[in-house]
Amino acid sequence: MNTKKKNILIIDDEKGLRLGAQRLLEEEGYIVETAESGKTGIHLGISKNYDVAVIDLKMPDIDGLEVLKQIKLTRPNTVCFIATAFASYDTAIQSTRLGAFGYIPKPFTPEELIYQVELGVKQRKLIIESERLKKESEENLLEIAYEKSRLNAIIKSISDGVLVINRVGEVVYFNYAALKFLNISELKIGDMAIQRLPEKIIEIIKNILSADKVLLKTYSIQIELLPNNELVIEAACTPVPHPDGSIAGVVIVLSNITQFKKIEQIKSQFVSMVAHELKTPLSAVQGFLNILLDDSIVVDKEKEKDYLKRSVVRLNNLKELVNDLLDISRMELKTKQREIEEIHLHEILHNTVQLLELELKKKNISLVSTIEKDLPLIKADQNEITRIFTNLLSNAIKYNKIGGKIIIDIFTKKNYISIRIKDTGIGMREEEQKKLFNEFYRIKNDLTRGISGTGLGLTIVKRIVDSYHGKIEVESIYGEGTTITVILPININ
Amino acid sequence: MALIAIIDDDPDILDASSLVLKSKGYNVITATNPNDGYKIVKEKKPNLIILDVMMDEPDDGFFLAQKFRKENIITPILMYTSVSKAIGFEFGKNEMVPVDDFVEKPISPDELVRKVELLLHKVEEKR
Repeated sequence: MNTKKKNILIIDDEKGLRLGAQRLLEEEGYIVETAESGKTGIHLGISKNYDVAVIDLKMPDIDGLEVLKQIKLTRPNTVCFIATAFASYDTAIQSTRLGAFGYIPKPFTPEELIYQVELGVKQRKLIIESERLKKESEENLLEIAYEKSRLNAIIKSISDGVLVINRVGEVVYFNYAALKFLNISELKIGDMAIQRLPEKIIEIIKNILSADKVLLKTYSIQIELLPNNELVIEAACTPVPHPDGSIAGVVIVLSNITQFKKIEQIKSQFVSMVAHELKTPLSAVQGFLNILLDDSIVVDKEKEKDYLKRSVVRLNNLKELVNDLLDISRMELKTKQREIEEIHLHEILHNTVQLLELELKKKNISLVSTIEKDLPLIKADQNEITRIFTNLLSNAIKYNKIGGKIIIDIFTKKNYISIRIKDTGIGMREEEQKKLFNEFYRIKNDLTRGISGTGLGLTIVKRIVDSYHGKIEVESIYGEGTTITVILPININ
Repeated sequence: MALIAIIDDDPDILDASSLVLKSKGYNVITATNPNDGYKIVKEKKPNLIILDVMMDEPDDGFFLAQKFRKENIITPILMYTSVSKAIGFEFGKNEMVPVDDFVEKPISPDELVRKVELLLHKVEEKR
């Protein structure tokens, strides 16, 4: 921009002066154009954005001041000089009023002209620079205004409530979510708001505002807005400081934490259930041991052995329970390292049956399995699928009758593999089937007495099946038997 | 000697408690669920009932105790509890809970016998 040659316009009716000035300035490196009359001068001056124009005051057709006026009207940034031999105080003032930058008295020396034109070029640079800055700052202002409205739109549309109040308790800013949470139907900036807030929030705000020192600390409180934890919010109050550190007000952010509270409740219920399940076998064992250690109670040898045996059974059960719980927690944390590979279901079934051979023999249960020929492989974690078979088969044995049967069918149906395990056991009532997959649920009746279990076996099966996007179906007739079918998609990853 | 009914779904707890009480000379009858418990109390009219707070369902021991009181069965009830402390639920406000005393599991023979004797003694005094 700076290296670009500057454009100069000379308007003068005197030919000698015109051409002399042109030659002189061209030698100085300017691009010079000339006009021999006021009319052409106006025409040229308007049509092109010259850096500097030198206008003769006295011309036969149009007066120099008129030429100046016309050019300035269209080209306010062209730096104009008035050149005249008839210098007077009045014309000087008049030309300056019309926007001339300077005044060149005739006759002038070459040095004088060059000097004035240089001044004009500098002025032109300043004008252009200030124009640029002005434009830039206007753009910045626009940008800021845009940013502000965007920020506003964001705060207005977030689901958390935002409310800012100043140190006397008036509203400075709010969004609609805040009104919704606080059940305030109408609020204007500047309204006194502090009294309309819940008691607990008022207390915190008063503490913040009355503190000697501004601590940039957030004070949170949970408030139950609807009973029975139907709507619980958390209000986080943070002081807003002035640049000098004094307190300007308080910003209150209100978030809906109902869902979080519900999960917390489920978790604490689960923990108390776990505590109960863990304590039950411990209590039984400790009860036996207390008796055996008590000298005032006579226990014969046979009974003593019986109690010790039963204690071992309970402790084994406790160990299984802890293992099941660890499995569940691993599944929940998803930290369990899955090893997905192509697996053969008939191999897994074969291995599981071998492991349970002893239990089958004890109750004299016969097992028949039919596996579809050319059963496709499925991609899954071997341990998890083994766990499904172990849990379902051990249930089919535990809840079976002496001399009962287990019938296993594995077959494909469209894109799914079905694993159906049917037993001829004690079966379940309809209401019992509904609770079957609940944690720790165990059916308690005369038929199940003496059968030990953790109440987590089917919970674990269900969670594994769910994690493979499969399905589990239960059919059962009380007293006759139960059929459980696990359906897994074939192309599972 | 007094007759004591123990109602608890855990056969090991039933056996241990029965042995402790029998060794002190008491007669014991047992039931493993609320229904059977109700039956033996109605039929045998024991002098004291020991009742587990949670059998098939949480708190079903409570409901059985309430049922006895509603039917004007004023036999003293000693309640077995297990996780009351763990879940922050403290018993002891007797006006809400229609039982006479509590024993926290696991059962210590000394404590069980002491509480049983105390309750039976109170009944004697009332007569």
